[in-house]
Amino acid sequence: MKRDQGCHQTDHDVSRRAFLATGAAAGMLGLTAPATAQVLKKKQKRVLQLYLQGGVSQLESWDPKPGTKHGGPFRAIPTSVPGMHISELLPHTAQRMHLLSVVRSINLKTNSHHDGRLFMEMGRRSGEFPYVGSVASRYLTPENAPLPGYLHITTRGLTDNTNAFLDARHAQMKLAGPQVPNNLVRPDSLTADAARRSSDLLKRLNTRFSGRGGRKAFTDSYNASFEMAEKLMARRDLFEGDASPKDLARYGKHPFGRNCILAKTLLENGATVVKVTHHGYDTHAENFNFHLEQLGEFDKTFCMLLDDLHVSGMLDSTLVMIMSEFGRTPKINVRYGRDHWGTAWSIALGGQGLVPGAIIGATNKEGTAVSKREVDGGHLFHTYFQALGLDSSSNHELGGRVVPIGDPAKTPIKELLA
Amino acid sequence: MPFFRPLVTGLLLAAPAVLVAEDAPPLHQQIDTLIETKLPDFSKHAAPVCSDAEFLRRVTLDLAATIPSLRQTQEFLSNKAASKNKRRDLVTGLLESPRHAFRMQYLLDWILMENREGETVPSAEWQAYLRNSVAANKPWDALAQEILVADGAKKQERAPARFYLDRNFDMTVVTRDVGRVFLGVDLECAQCHNHPAVEAYKQQHYHGLNAFLQRSYLFTDPKSKAKSLGEKAEGDVTFTSVFDDSKGKTAPRILDLPEKTDPKDTLKQYITKPTKTARGVPKYSRRKQLGVAMIAPENIDFRLNIANRLWAAVMGRGLVEPLDLRHSANPASHPELLTVLGNALHEHKYDMRWFLGELVLTQTYQRSLPAKDDPELARQYFAAGLLKPLSPEQYAWATMQATGRLDIVRKEVVARLTMPEKVKAKDAPKKEQPKADKAKGSGESKPPTEKQIQEAIRKAVDSDVKTFVKAFATQGGQTTRFSATAPQALFLANGSLLQNWLKPAANNLLARVTGLKTGPEVAEELYMSILNRPPLEMEQMEVVDYLKNTKSRDSALRELAQALLLSAEFRFNH
Repeated sequence: MKRDQGCHQTDHDVSRRAFLATGAAAGMLGLTAPATAQVLKKKQKRVLQLYLQGGVSQLESWDPKPGTKHGGPFRAIPTSVPGMHISELLPHTAQRMHLLSVVRSINLKTNSHHDGRLFMEMGRRSGEFPYVGSVASRYLTPENAPLPGYLHITTRGLTDNTNAFLDARHAQMKLAGPQVPNNLVRPDSLTADAARRSSDLLKRLNTRFSGRGGRKAFTDSYNASFEMAEKLMARRDLFEGDASPKDLARYGKHPFGRNCILAKTLLENGATVVKVTHHGYDTHAENFNFHLEQLGEFDKTFCMLLDDLHVSGMLDSTLVMIMSEFGRTPKINVRYGRDHWGTAWSIALGGQGLVPGAIIGATNKEGTAVSKREVDGGHLFHTYFQALGLDSSSNHELGGRVVPIGDPAKTPIKELLA
Repeated sequence: MPFFRPLVTGLLLAAPAVLVAEDAPPLHQQIDTLIETKLPDFSKHAAPVCSDAEFLRRVTLDLAATIPSLRQTQEFLSNKAASKNKRRDLVTGLLESPRHAFRMQYLLDWILMENREGETVPSAEWQAYLRNSVAANKPWDALAQEILVADGAKKQERAPARFYLDRNFDMTVVTRDVGRVFLGVDLECAQCHNHPAVEAYKQQHYHGLNAFLQRSYLFTDPKSKAKSLGEKAEGDVTFTSVFDDSKGKTAPRILDLPEKTDPKDTLKQYITKPTKTARGVPKYSRRKQLGVAMIAPENIDFRLNIANRLWAAVMGRGLVEPLDLRHSANPASHPELLTVLGNALHEHKYDMRWFLGELVLTQTYQRSLPAKDDPELARQYFAAGLLKPLSPEQYAWATMQATGRLDIVRKEVVARLTMPEKVKAKDAPKKEQPKADKAKGSGESKPPTEKQIQEAIRKAVDSDVKTFVKAFATQGGQTTRFSATAPQALFLANGSLLQNWLKPAANNLLARVTGLKTGPEVAEELYMSILNRPPLEMEQMEVVDYLKNTKSRDSALRELAQALLLSAEFRFNH
């Protein structure tokens, strides 16, 4: 396996040695997965997406360039992967980089929030295609899943057409955080007994109607939506009540901390795709103060979630990605901000099907262009699904419509696949 | 110029000449003949014609976007006239009703905008434009042309420009959607290379359509910030395949029709030259030519597309599925029929109201649901009725009709409309009454017309309809597929809207059943109001037992109504 160490800067204080085996690096932290990891949980493949909305700065995260023209005030620090450095704003994450890999050579050729988000989600520059989460939901969600396939925890209400031509049940279900979703609670006018009686009658009516002929797939889907609704109502506990003091102390009491605790709970309870959006990275002014604050909140919280997945053995079967719609300009503007920049930026990813501890691609010395292994949303999209064990070059078969799962003109980042 | 395979080969020629002759039987009979002759021993496989009750609900939903009221149901079922005649009269009445304009407004909105959320042109303006167009029975070709040439610069052209403006005039999206919505071909994957899976879709086709649009651009007025379309008088389309680097160049053209070369001396000739502050207006507009070329008689794809879409809307499945994927390897299930339908629409000047009327008069439309033998065979050959999910708007109106919510709204609306002018003026928010109105109000106030009442009802329930659209809308994907979600089920089971409509009030459904004495009466009222049919004996007993076994009668009535409203039988048109 060819790996790219990526560090070519002179001010790194750790020598650029070859990689240590991942297991050894994990051992250093005492985070090796217990042998008793639940086999069942391991079998189902899952996706955890952390979306840093607004565009996190690659220079303040995965691709620091301290001491260069556009480098900004923050230092690069060594990580648990010898030779790999990331920004000092991510000290906890740095200690866990043996679980993750970094792609430093993304060029989306767009600086628009909208276009960048869609490219990163659909793997296509334009058009209407399902999001990563909807595609994963379609192919990974078991028939008898206890929760809807694609759950998105976000505090803002953008309505995305995430499922495009896929079935509506693979559209994202939005959750506003650890609070009971809309309409999950039975209205006061309906007692528990009344609801059960009415629901039993409804089932009888629907069974009889399905027997009348017509389109079984339609009536099946309709009936299944009520079954899923009942499952959700039965798991109201997942959404209400405060998290444990221990988790709150570890993850943080802020909304992002609580949202990540919810993400963990959902993944542990049978969710297939969980996306958590962390808002507020669009730092056109005061980029450095805002990143200090934002990533300060992100870093430890994310690491607690990563640790919990790792310790429970779920990380092996969970694809984790930390993404944005783009990065931020190397050039620092007059308001100490960085602007939109899709030209040369980074994401981090790890878990299911991926080589950990790798650095893919590089930017030039001042971070103004990709210098090696340029990739875009199309390559990343293929990579996610290959990592999940899906042939992303095959087609969605949709009753007469055949649509390539990934862009046929793009290929996965092979060296990142385990 | 390389030779490109035509998308649809020789369909027009294949149409039997006799069918277009003057003495041809009416379209609905031609349809039945073509459907029946496609499958050997058709009558053996065909489901019988549906009952009057089934027909009433089915056709009311399809033509008027709602279920019939209890009274309409009772009247239609007790009408002793010959079934054929009363069905015909019903269709005539529905097509003339104000509700038909609502139904077509919703249907066209879905076809054209696919529930896009943009508000560059306020959706209320757009909806009114569609509604008024349909009410005036504007032909589809005229409507299509208005939409395709609109630039949104003038106020009266603002609404039709929504097709472009609320796609942000994103070049790939508008090019693709002109193909999908108006021609029934999805050239998405042919943008960067010949379509990998569809041999008939060439890069040339995509770029031929693109060449009509590619000189246009989104112009934002620097002062008002209003968006409209400007256009340049130069720029040609060239393309390269990302697969093999082969190159191409094209003037505007519709699929395999000849290229439309620009007239001489129009290059860089402007009425208004485009600048940062001025919207470019060329002397020769390629986008205007798109409107002309689209509806030209030689563009057969235009008529086949709309024929297929209207067919799918009432029959439950397109002759071509998906609706936007017609090509030589995915032809119509009944190619001859599609050609006859397209030609008939063309000959009748794209009169959609006449066309829908003919479709619902067919035996094909009126078949009952269960297949006689093989359901797959029945589906393929239209030998049995097909389940159709209610559109979000149909679902909202049907629910309001069934629960009696519409009766309450109607009462309020009629009271308001018949209020003497003086009182009305006093009640109205302080706003200068237009002079014309004052003059009209001088005499005795006339009772409102049915059209005025319906329009006022539509306004009153608009926000509730929108709530349903938000909960049930599917975006994109022009097929007749169906999939339901858990949040939708939660909305139905626990949402406050339905719960409120299920509280007894005035003369609504729950108030009516509360006043009934016996179980069988309750069963009759519930089934006739919600499912538009009398209950079977077994169903009647079920209701009787339910009432007997439940302590609280009020609660039992509510539970029964809720179960029937949430039933699949209500959720679908059948």
